[in-house]
Amino acid sequence: MRTIAHVLRAAAALGLGLAFLLPIYIAFVTSLDRPQDVFVYPPHLVPDWNFSVWVQTWRGNTWMLAIINTVVIALATIAIALTTTVLCAYALVYVPFRGKAVVWTALLAVLMIPEQALLIPNFVTMAKLHLVDTRIAQIIPYGASVFGVFLLRQHLLTLPREYHDAAKIDGCGHLAFLWRIVLPLSRPILFTIALYIFIGCWNSLIWPLMVTSSPRVQPIEVLLSTFLTQDSSNWQGLSAAAMFATLPMIALFVLFRKPILRGLSKSSGING
Amino acid sequence: MSVIDAFLRSTAQTAAEPSPGPSRLREGILAACLLAPAFLFLVAFVYAPAVLAFALAFFNFHPGGTATYAGLSNFHAALSDPLFWRSMANTGLYALMMVPSTLVLSVALAALLQSNRRLFRFAQSLVVLPYITPAVGTAIGWLWMYNPNFGILNALLRGIGLKPIGWLNSPHWAMPAVVLYSLWHGIGFDVLILLSAMSQVPEGVLESARVDGAGPWTRLFRITLPLISPTLFFIAVMTTIGSLQAFAQVYALSLSSGGPENATLTALLYIYQQAFTDGQFSYAAAMAAMLVVCIFAVTALTRWIGHRFTFYQ
Repeated sequence: MRTIAHVLRAAAALGLGLAFLLPIYIAFVTSLDRPQDVFVYPPHLVPDWNFSVWVQTWRGNTWMLAIINTVVIALATIAIALTTTVLCAYALVYVPFRGKAVVWTALLAVLMIPEQALLIPNFVTMAKLHLVDTRIAQIIPYGASVFGVFLLRQHLLTLPREYHDAAKIDGCGHLAFLWRIVLPLSRPILFTIALYIFIGCWNSLIWPLMVTSSPRVQPIEVLLSTFLTQDSSNWQGLSAAAMFATLPMIALFVLFRKPILRGLSKSSGING
Repeated sequence: MSVIDAFLRSTAQTAAEPSPGPSRLREGILAACLLAPAFLFLVAFVYAPAVLAFALAFFNFHPGGTATYAGLSNFHAALSDPLFWRSMANTGLYALMMVPSTLVLSVALAALLQSNRRLFRFAQSLVVLPYITPAVGTAIGWLWMYNPNFGILNALLRGIGLKPIGWLNSPHWAMPAVVLYSLWHGIGFDVLILLSAMSQVPEGVLESARVDGAGPWTRLFRITLPLISPTLFFIAVMTTIGSLQAFAQVYALSLSSGGPENATLTALLYIYQQAFTDGQFSYAAAMAAMLVVCIFAVTALTRWIGHRFTFYQ
């Protein structure tokens, strides 16, 4: 009896997992079908491996440029946000100063302000700075990551306090300590934070949609949404384009499953 | 929000530190220099805009043009705009469907998937995967599944002898269809943090309950769930806040229209349309201000309810 229950539970778990994959798989099949197999009933579930729609869709729009834009925006955001995060978290953990509580409250307030309320004023700021429809406008609003500061600070607090004291006695200054000890010991958590910034940039929609208007600077999700709203009956083309946006994230997940899942569970660690 | 409680608690850990006398000023300057870059960005793109957002609502502002004081007229206009009310009602309806179904489903999935065996870990990964995929990219597959004539969902309904549904073409079913998509997209995160909370429930407690004759259901409902109630509460709050800010999913599934018949026009989608399709910046800012007030109010209410039903060790 118990073995039957175990097998049933395992089968249910596997079936459920595969069901979660179904919506992506359906788009995958549609994009690779011969045109006569798309509008059929019952739905087609095994692809024809006909890559002509992929080729046609890829050539029909500036996907490569959109992917380059996305990666450039993501890498620049990572470079800036990781720098500000490291400096800020270091100060909070290793430098004694008055007003630390005020700084904390200010960081905490950021979590309570919905990003959506900031969209319109930020657009006005960008317009004043003549940065509308640029890549910079998609980078600088995310130059500080409060989530990153929180994760890194949690990590730094777990490092033995003695490292800092020993370094101090040996005459190692703050910057040397940060560069030689803290950074090498924080590599995994910094990598996790960078991954999250990358995923966030790849998937971000509303702000790039507002602040850009030309494909020259638009990231992939925006180009895809333009395609979707303008050509919504081109099912095969849309499905192929959806694969261009989705498959890189799936690849990222397969490659870096552990750090990604670690980051997700850590954000539950924020919860008390 | 327990995120904030944790923040407050951790403040206490670091605030009181002995600081040696002579180097104090130097350390203060160092701290200011280290904090400056992060706060430069936060002031420019969070704190100042948060203040500006409210100010904008009291003016009639056109980008590139002039701003004239408008008093409360933008708020009056919104309150007598039936579409604003419709969008707020849609948002509320969406949250009312999302929060209970997220809680029930994530607990069910976590209970089913809790195991360290490889097959279960694989299934956990598949459930989490949608969470990191782009909303528009995955919505396309769903649009196809929801297709009334050729979609797999209606094929399933026909297969078991039920009448097909109009899904996104039907004003009645469009919002539930958006909810189903959002559950698929977001529940992996909730399942994962539930699994991590469940793994911290002391094995001894569960074991002694088992010895005393408690079955798996009793152990789940009487021991595990009460012990992880702070996590359940966290999920409820996060889902509530996230639902009130619904945008990408309705933008993609309704092809940016909020249709059919405005059935999926959420508050944020309407604000977006007003600001960026019609150029009504101040009007949009007034509605955004009201949405933010609603979000704060609902969050406070959820916290108040949550604290009464949450078990803290």
